[in-house]
Amino acid sequence: MSVAPHDFGDFPRSAAAARFEAWRRAFYRFSGSRLSVIGLGICVFLVLVAIFGESFVPYPQHVTGGIAPRARFLPPSATHWFGTNELGQDVFTLVVAGSRVSLLCGFAVVFAAAVVGTVLGGIAGYYGGWTDDLIMRLTDLKLTIPGLILAMAIAAALGPGIVNMIIAVSLSWWPGFARLVRGEVLSKKEELFVLAARALGASHARLIWRHIVPNVLGAIVIKMSLDMGFAILTVAALGFIGIGVKPPTPEWGSLLAIARGYMPEFWWTAVFPGLAIFLAVFGFNLLGDGLRDVLDPKARR
Amino acid sequence: MALLEIRNLHLYMRSFEGDAHVLNGIDLTLERGRIHGLVGETGCGKSLTGLSISRLVPSPPARYAAGSIRFDGRDLMEASEAEMRALRGRRIGMIFQDPTTNLNPAFRVGEQMIDVALHAGQVDSGILGLGPDASRAERRAAACRLVVEMLGKVGIRDAAARVDDYPHQFSGGMRQRVLIAMALIGRPDLLIADEPTTALDVTVQAQILRLIRDLVDEFQLGVLLITHNLGVVAQVCSQVSVMYAGSTVEDGPTRAVFRAPRHPYTKALLAALPREGLARGELKGLAGSVPSLLTPPRGCRFAPRCVHAIDTCRERRPIAEEIQAGHTVACLRAAEPVA
Amino acid sequence: MLPFVIRRFLLLIPVFIGLSMLVFVIGRLLPGDPVQLAAGPHATREEIAALAAEFGLDQPLPVQYLAYAKGLAIGDWGRSIQSRQPVIDDLKTFMPATLELVIAAMIVAILIGIPTGLLAAVYRDRWPDTLSRAVSLGAISIPRFFLGLLLQLALAMWLGLLPLGGRLPITAEPPPFLTGFLLIDTLVARDFSTFFLALQHMAMPAVALSLSPLATIMRMMRASTLEVLSQDYVLTARALGLSQRLTIFKYVLKNALSASLTVIGLYFGWLLGGTVLVETVFDWPGIGLYATRAITTQDFMPVMGVTLCIGLIFVAVNLLVDLAYGLVNPKVRLS
Repeated sequence: MSVAPHDFGDFPRSAAAARFEAWRRAFYRFSGSRLSVIGLGICVFLVLVAIFGESFVPYPQHVTGGIAPRARFLPPSATHWFGTNELGQDVFTLVVAGSRVSLLCGFAVVFAAAVVGTVLGGIAGYYGGWTDDLIMRLTDLKLTIPGLILAMAIAAALGPGIVNMIIAVSLSWWPGFARLVRGEVLSKKEELFVLAARALGASHARLIWRHIVPNVLGAIVIKMSLDMGFAILTVAALGFIGIGVKPPTPEWGSLLAIARGYMPEFWWTAVFPGLAIFLAVFGFNLLGDGLRDVLDPKARR
Repeated sequence: MALLEIRNLHLYMRSFEGDAHVLNGIDLTLERGRIHGLVGETGCGKSLTGLSISRLVPSPPARYAAGSIRFDGRDLMEASEAEMRALRGRRIGMIFQDPTTNLNPAFRVGEQMIDVALHAGQVDSGILGLGPDASRAERRAAACRLVVEMLGKVGIRDAAARVDDYPHQFSGGMRQRVLIAMALIGRPDLLIADEPTTALDVTVQAQILRLIRDLVDEFQLGVLLITHNLGVVAQVCSQVSVMYAGSTVEDGPTRAVFRAPRHPYTKALLAALPREGLARGELKGLAGSVPSLLTPPRGCRFAPRCVHAIDTCRERRPIAEEIQAGHTVACLRAAEPVA
Repeated sequence: MLPFVIRRFLLLIPVFIGLSMLVFVIGRLLPGDPVQLAAGPHATREEIAALAAEFGLDQPLPVQYLAYAKGLAIGDWGRSIQSRQPVIDDLKTFMPATLELVIAAMIVAILIGIPTGLLAAVYRDRWPDTLSRAVSLGAISIPRFFLGLLLQLALAMWLGLLPLGGRLPITAEPPPFLTGFLLIDTLVARDFSTFFLALQHMAMPAVALSLSPLATIMRMMRASTLEVLSQDYVLTARALGLSQRLTIFKYVLKNALSASLTVIGLYFGWLLGGTVLVETVFDWPGIGLYATRAITTQDFMPVMGVTLCIGLIFVAVNLLVDLAYGLVNPKVRLS
């Protein structure tokens, strides 16, 4: 059977229209779920705080390690909303400043993991054969080793520092993305080859760009938003154990770890950084869960 | 009194785009001991009609705007869920299209059937042949006997041993037999069979149809046979209703309707059947497509595709009229001597 | 069933080999000079060389791996370069504490997560569902080290209801070692007062650890129940008059459970690694604390041992889950 050229020319346009329609529906469904909208609100708020918060904190000198020995352990009050810590630093200031580190690290981890996972998963799915076997066995193995312990080991190996910590966590994070991308590519590959044969002349690269990338991208964005919360959690956990971001850089997990020693009398030093972690993780989880609900056909039920 | 009488049934379905008017005045009469075919294209509302009789369409999104469903004189639209539950499995049995998915894969077939038998026995203890004060164990034993007996009736060999098998150990045709036995275990008066043979091989299909016909004779069942296959209707149905886009367009004895179809849609359907002696490429399809039920045409729903449509057809909804004894057509031009 | 079991066992061999190699690589990732670290700052060059030779560290890497793998096969998992203790002995001491905690947490999670997930699915899009979604997302989101701290603050420090941490008070006499599970060993020894002490000590860490698997199991159970509810056989059951209660608690539950089983297995292994934080907060003498200590002192044999041990347990649990899956699912069992 021959296909007239205009038939094929029509195809991308109608696909784009269908995609637009799908997004419109997704948005409608998303805004119908109160929890998802709350999640979006929390995330937007946190991002704004992370970007602009430091300019408005009451004690900017504490962000860079300044201390106030005479104001140690003041309980929450009008001048110190979240109280002060063992160095007399304003806990509110530290928590606001910590949002930047946490969000940035969380995003960096997820982004790096997504890039590595996408490349490896894409290669595995596209080429198949022994490349596929090798990469997939590696991810399988990786999944049997607890991510936190692996991240701890790598972080310890690389030594302290934000960048090293990000590398460590993303190295333990990519297999999930690799599996996802490989699955998507595999399911699209057959269709793609049929199209390629029909289009006669349309290059593979163009078809990949047109057909695989948009499909895979959606799935990756969903997973990134779902993982963002857990990435923030992992970063905080490493800070809490003491293998990660180190003072004086304000980071929620390490703030909590130090404050642990001053409980129960000076509970505010621990509770507020903890609540901040909770709020951030909760917000991103709500958002990710809501996105998955509306965008992932498999989870739609 | 007819076993089942559906009059002017209107059903709306809420959806993302708006309310779809999916059943637009269904009329249907079914007598005991008869097989009544309900035919139409996918999406014309024939399955929804079947589910509506058992009140199994979830509401919301469903909304019944008008109509009545009289079963043995009782209006099911007025019945409570508890009353409906007493009818289901006891007086109204149902079977569905795909025998591979309609049995629970994780349970032995006997187990699933016994539960239906116990339910029917709870509604009417006579089904199990026991008095109302029989013990649990007695009921279960009686239910088990009944299950084996029914499996035998539908042609499962060595039924006593096979009750302990799981669904995947049966072939497709055998599974449909099991489902028929399960639907008939409560000795129902009405069997709603929704595309019972569509998923089966042609030979198996014929066996299942023969089985249904035999069972109708044995139990004096009324069967509503929902199908898109006109051949199946011709084989076993004494009556047929033709549906298009949520309306019954033609209804009558199968012979009369098939010999002398009066509605243009029925004519088109019959003309689209492949026949012997037809040269290749002569297969006729129907031009156009089914109208959107969100914004259905104002007049006759078939008008946009109808070659005989005139302006009135697009304005006024046709009312079903009896043109011969028992043969009704919903077409404004049915009385005219058109080709 | 038997060929199925044998096939699953044979599949484990390459997993073991791959795992030991990966673990060896991870162990070697640790930087610095562990020998130098262990020997102390004042060690002479000869002393360091002797120590390196003693641990086989002067050999090329493939030789070291082969020696390590050979040791693994005969139960010699190497020695801690810090304490000189055989790693396998340490694992025997610390593993039961962690396993006991994880099992307790999983039991809590399953007992609460399964019914609530089922409920959420049955009342889909109504308030029980929305509530369960909010609660489960909240439960996943709360860092377990923070939850642990809050529990300690409220229940131990302010109200004084439960002990702050540890497995038993220092003054208590631990039961004779049998399984290493205090709750079992005390019962076997008929030492009920110690049993209750152990239970009290376990309460907070187990709850802190159970929250995220609970939420996951709940969501998983909800999803699989919805999946099952949309199946044709559920419609058939309804169409033939079976009550909603019978349909859900007999027919739907079994199918939905078998779908959730896999997740439970995955989570169990995942939790073994996740106890690190809870053990740190509650000073629970398990392998999480052991691993943290080993990582911070760059003591690579224990790190390898812990990782390998968790990997093996993970694989074993998933094997068990596969077998259990076969039991629930007749199609897998019989084919």
